[in-house]
Amino acid sequence: MFICENLRPINLTMDRIQVKSKPIKERAFPAPRETQTLSQSQRRAYRLYLFPSLAVLITVTLAPTLFLLVTSFTPLNLTLPDTVGDFSRPLANYTLLLEDQRFHNSLWVQVKLSLATVSLQLLAGLAIALLLNIRTGFLEACRTVFLIPMVLPPIVVAIIWKVLYTPDISPVLWALRSLGLPAPSLITDPDLALWAIITADVWEWFPFTMLMLLAALQMMPEEPLEAAKLDGAGTWRLFLFIVLPFIRPALLVSGLFRLIDSIKAFPLIYILTNGGPGTVTEVTNYYVFIQAFNFSYLGFSSAITVVMVTATFLLSWWIMRIVGPKVEIE
Amino acid sequence: MVMFPFFWLLHMSVKPDQDIMSFPPKLLFKPTADHYLALWKTDFRRSFMNSAIVSVSTTLLSMVIGVPAAYALSRANFKSDKQLSLWILSSRMAPPIAFTIPFFLIYRYLDLLDTLPGLIIIYLTFNLSLVIWMMRTFFDGTPRSLEEAAWIDGASVWGSFLRIILPLSAPGLAATAIFCFLFSWNDFFFALILTRTQSMTAPVAVVNFMNYEGWEWGKIAAGGTMVMLPVVIFSLIVRKYLIRGLTAGAIKG
Repeated sequence: MFICENLRPINLTMDRIQVKSKPIKERAFPAPRETQTLSQSQRRAYRLYLFPSLAVLITVTLAPTLFLLVTSFTPLNLTLPDTVGDFSRPLANYTLLLEDQRFHNSLWVQVKLSLATVSLQLLAGLAIALLLNIRTGFLEACRTVFLIPMVLPPIVVAIIWKVLYTPDISPVLWALRSLGLPAPSLITDPDLALWAIITADVWEWFPFTMLMLLAALQMMPEEPLEAAKLDGAGTWRLFLFIVLPFIRPALLVSGLFRLIDSIKAFPLIYILTNGGPGTVTEVTNYYVFIQAFNFSYLGFSSAITVVMVTATFLLSWWIMRIVGPKVEIE
Repeated sequence: MVMFPFFWLLHMSVKPDQDIMSFPPKLLFKPTADHYLALWKTDFRRSFMNSAIVSVSTTLLSMVIGVPAAYALSRANFKSDKQLSLWILSSRMAPPIAFTIPFFLIYRYLDLLDTLPGLIIIYLTFNLSLVIWMMRTFFDGTPRSLEEAAWIDGASVWGSFLRIILPLSAPGLAATAIFCFLFSWNDFFFALILTRTQSMTAPVAVVNFMNYEGWEWGKIAAGGTMVMLPVVIFSLIVRKYLIRGLTAGAIKG
């Protein structure tokens, strides 16, 4: 599968699959070992291995999600003890959602943030992956360097950008000022604050799309490219009609992964703008955080979260349909 | 472009206070360890230890529980494989806030708020699925013929798993464990909400320097550097496997 090229275990899988795909040659030999059926005791052993994980997963993920669903039907507010277990108007939170302007605003901010970051990350990732793919010798060293923004603790990334955006200490804003250019304080300007977040987010996560696309590019067979070159196709046409269709699944999957992650955006917003100025950078996730832990409207925020969880679940399901649960070879 | 912001933070952490605010930036200055020393005298030290304890424990726990499950999923062709995988992937993908609200309420009731076990348990939500997801691809890549040969020689499923498959998967195990450690170490959101003072972790402690102590940039930079230090070291160690870990049901606390 394109995600994990050039790792030894995957190559082993590939060998196995190649063996399977040559049935005529192999027919003389006994059936491959892995098709052997498992005995009862072996099946039981496997189920036993799976059990602790399932039990823990049920306790820490499934049960809390159900609990979340239940609280979303109550007006739970920790400052008002009466609201615990009050199911008299179960859908009140959801009808409130339909009218809540601030929630609608948060959805709109979310859409802007997600669209901008995902598309910019795909573009930047693709551009750099194409560059790195040409100079293969140069590649290993570069890869590690490019990985750094992605592996840094998100909080450190946020601090780094806070420094770069704070007029008193920012070397970038100083440089702009001394060149006589306008150097606005990005994170306090309502028109620019969201772009400040987008810039930092793209910096943090373009390595992810780059890696996924680079892996896909390296899986690409040479033959169609050579053939097209012989037919006199230019670089641009090669890219458009051969490279792009080949990496389309990788583009889609990395875009989806980033889309899901963009719904969780938190540390950057918390540190850089705190959702402000006003509510211009208040994405849905952040709005839930404020409703739940600043205002203590836990019932209402549960309802918003249920909506978010449904969205991420659908996106995960979409990814699963493309990638499948097993490592697959195209 | 990529590295500049990163190095700027590093250099700020060793720059004397009076130089941080001076422009044009002084590029030649006498490096100082003052910020680090000052930092280590505050509660930051305890937070740093908290982070280490929580990350190591949750890593061990999720490895012990998750690795056999990954092996079983890889080998047994369970009928509900697809549904199980979707569940595991979506619990990895779910927004942290979805777990935070119910856990916050339950912890309030169980008195687990602001405790290390509380954090260790909630980190299982993402680490366990990560272990299963990642180790499964490693196990899928180890040939079955090995353990089948051992079975013929009379080894049990458990015996062949322990003595043949696990040693073979050592690099995968190491890489997966480091990822668990990193994701727990990097977490900010859960720790922000579920801890107050006693069990505050390092990332939250650094952010608190921003809020209460009047923007001591030197200290903030030093704290940030301390928080990213283990991450950078470990990432270099598992460089080869980074790609798989970071793409296996990606990231982010």
